[in-house]
Amino acid sequence: MRRLGRDKSFSRRRESGVFVKWISGRARKGGHSFLLGTFILFLCLVPPAVAGPTGRVSESVLPNGLKVILLENHKAPLVTFQVWYRVGSRNENWGKTGLSHVLEHMMFKGTKKVSGERFVRLIEENGGNNNAFTSRDFTAYYENLSADRVGVAIGLEADRMRRLVLREEDFRTERMVVMEERRLRTEDNPQAYLFEQVDAAAFAVSPYHWPVIGWMEDLQRLTLDDLKTHYRTYYSPTNAFLVVVGDFKKEEMLRLVRNAFGSYPKSVRPPQERSSEPPQSGKRMVCVEKEAKLPFVVKGYHVPNLSDPDSYVLEVIEALLSGGKSSRLYQNLVRERQLALEVDADHSLLSYDPGLFYLSAVPMPGKDVAEVEKALDGELERLQREQVGGEELQKAKNQIEAVFVYGQDSLFSQAMMLAQFEVAGGWRRLDDYLPAIRKVTAVDVRRVAGKYFTHRNSTVGILIPLPPTEERPASKGATGRDRMIRYRSSECRAQGSIGF
Amino acid sequence: MTARFLLQLFLIVAAASIMATAPACAVPPVERLVLSNKLKVIVAQEHSLPFATLQLLVDSGSRKDPPGKEGLARLTARGMLLGTEKRTAETINRELDFLGASLGAEAGPDYAVLSLRVLKKDLDRGFGLFMDVLTRPAFPADEVRREVKKTLAAIQSEEDQPDAVAEKTFQKELYLSGYGHPVEGTKESLPAVARGDVERFYRENYCPNNAILVVVGDVTVAEVRARLLPLLDAWKAGDVAAVPFKSAFAEGPKAVKINRSVTQANIVIGHAGLSRDNPDYYAVVLMNYILGSGGFSSRLFNEIRVKRGLAYSVGSYFDARLYPGSFQVSIQTKNSSASEAIRIALDQMKLMQASPVEVKELDGAKKYLTGSFPMRMDTQAKLAGFLAQVEYFGLGPDYPSKYPSLIMAVTREKIQDVAKRYLYPDKCIVVIVADLKEAGLDAPGLP
Repeated sequence: MRRLGRDKSFSRRRESGVFVKWISGRARKGGHSFLLGTFILFLCLVPPAVAGPTGRVSESVLPNGLKVILLENHKAPLVTFQVWYRVGSRNENWGKTGLSHVLEHMMFKGTKKVSGERFVRLIEENGGNNNAFTSRDFTAYYENLSADRVGVAIGLEADRMRRLVLREEDFRTERMVVMEERRLRTEDNPQAYLFEQVDAAAFAVSPYHWPVIGWMEDLQRLTLDDLKTHYRTYYSPTNAFLVVVGDFKKEEMLRLVRNAFGSYPKSVRPPQERSSEPPQSGKRMVCVEKEAKLPFVVKGYHVPNLSDPDSYVLEVIEALLSGGKSSRLYQNLVRERQLALEVDADHSLLSYDPGLFYLSAVPMPGKDVAEVEKALDGELERLQREQVGGEELQKAKNQIEAVFVYGQDSLFSQAMMLAQFEVAGGWRRLDDYLPAIRKVTAVDVRRVAGKYFTHRNSTVGILIPLPPTEERPASKGATGRDRMIRYRSSECRAQGSIGF
Repeated sequence: MTARFLLQLFLIVAAASIMATAPACAVPPVERLVLSNKLKVIVAQEHSLPFATLQLLVDSGSRKDPPGKEGLARLTARGMLLGTEKRTAETINRELDFLGASLGAEAGPDYAVLSLRVLKKDLDRGFGLFMDVLTRPAFPADEVRREVKKTLAAIQSEEDQPDAVAEKTFQKELYLSGYGHPVEGTKESLPAVARGDVERFYRENYCPNNAILVVVGDVTVAEVRARLLPLLDAWKAGDVAAVPFKSAFAEGPKAVKINRSVTQANIVIGHAGLSRDNPDYYAVVLMNYILGSGGFSSRLFNEIRVKRGLAYSVGSYFDARLYPGSFQVSIQTKNSSASEAIRIALDQMKLMQASPVEVKELDGAKKYLTGSFPMRMDTQAKLAGFLAQVEYFGLGPDYPSKYPSLIMAVTREKIQDVAKRYLYPDKCIVVIVADLKEAGLDAPGLP
């Protein structure tokens, strides 16, 4: 579902946060999404993903460069078959954003051999669920189905890796669908809109500047030729890998995969280097004024990814701040001070390029957004000032470990986890995760908090609710809200002009 | 939050309502016990991972909310987590978080669910907490007030989601019974709910003889007997308040238009539906799969999205509850396409009635529903929810093995027959949240 609870304690319970966080940030969030599906993903029902010790995982590379990652799991007669392409919005260019995601949609439009309609029908008749999703860093396709039907998925995925037919007419229709998707996700969702603006401000140079779904103007500008070039460049065995988890025998699976994908020639690996974001030289601030009932505040801090050991410390910090109802943000801002309706902290560990660590909050009605922002700052300052206690640190680690175990409950999420680690630095890094978490000390927490949560490194976004455009029955408290809005609005503009 | 959860619950129910069947191998061994206090306990062992999931379903959903006190059922469910005779809310939260466990309580229209997920090594502590909040909640007055305040704020916040506004408006317009109000209550009703109401509602509903407990995961039946049953047996049976209920519906045609400065029209079209125990249920599930719930292959998806590119999200579903629920089509499309999308949806409903579905459509639907069954219970939480619903709706322990024959027995004629009897394209309530001027819908009347 595209809108899920922001009540951290609750969302933790239902999805333990990690699943989507690890997908690439914030797909779970109603407000913000790096991860777009061709079809609506009911992410809320999927538990977090972790494959645990990778002892049983095997890797093979076909002569044409296709990497195949296999994990046998015989607890149910099911298989998840996933094809991941190392291409996402980070591989796009100014003026042509949203290309990867539009191509993902087009992958359902058929090949020379199998029409789009037939594709859908074949999966359905075999009792399978399938979908696809695009992030900043990857585009992935999957089929979940009975183990004895996996051949169908293998055949279809192999076919569309190289033989997609891109037609102008399909493209024009599907572009309209994607524009509807953008309206749904972003244009009519004030919180998501704010997140988009925060990213655009925090990343001035890196391709993380633009949203995965692309700017509306760019969608309009895309051409069929853009899609063809993108497909030719990035959809090849060398730039893809498979992850298969479930009830199969490794040797047999590898044989099936080799038969289906092995005939494609080896191609040139496309370049993955992109401009990296220079260090930020001062606080940045953005405001969004939109019709809304409640304000919203987001703070983003540039942080490293998996390649830096500090990233594991940031995982622990995330748990300290927002893991469960006893976490600092929930306990202090929601429960004790009743300043916020919802709070969250989110760390993008598995980002290909360094991403942001986000804090966000919805103020309680009548509470000033500035006061809430100050309270968020207060929690970050506390992390820098006081050493976290032993029991609290242990609690955070226990939560991370438990979520790790729960995450193995679904074949799909096991595969997701392997694949995301593969994208971010190799699936074998998964084995480092828990040991690295266990090693984090109170000194680390304080040091890392001090290093990244600085004024200079921050980008702040504020949603300023505008009253409805036309007259409607005044609700109680409207006057107070109006006053606050005007106040924030002017102040925000002043600050914004300094920031930029 | 509140209503967002609601939507999730709704989706889960919707998913459950098209629950397909299990090849025998997909369901782990299930054992069913009935304790002396009449609590039904269902245990499904699955030892591949060292954790367990518990779901306690209590027949205490929002349909039992007294008029004027809407939101009471949910507040009671949530209230259990706000402190017990021995523990404050903060103690509970801290203990749970230290175990990496999660304990949640929510209510839907029919029933409430208290759920626990805990590592095997912490089962005793987790279950102790579970039983403490279940049997000894204190409902501290300040905590209840705070919860009400939060819920009110969440209701306000939800106003920013046009789809939620459309959905709520539709429910309110359609139902003339206790199914019509939001589970979380309304800004009018919540201030009227007092702690005493919560205590009473709890006393009259949270009884073992009104509940089903499902235990799934790394727990043996012997362990359940030795470690859980002593605590469960001590839970005293009580007198469950009888709340007579009957679904009642408003009839269309009626259009409700809400003006918002949004780029997309959020549309809900629908009417009365059916109850879960209706013998036509399985034919209706298939019919609706073909019409609008069948993912990429449904007619609505094809007509509105694939062929015309008018929407990203379109679908239909029957919300089959203990008593008759709703049927609805939901569409999100740019303002200027609203009328066209509505027309197509209504036309497709009529087409279901006018001619039999194609053989290959029905065949595909049957194969999907029967073939995808194992995936409907491929996690502990999904399996627990499935087993709880099988028990709640009285589907029988042989339901998984029976399901294929229930689905396969449905004919094209039967599909057309239920389309005629359960779809009312001429009597729909249509809710549109949109920029009405842009949508060309600023004149009164139906689009």
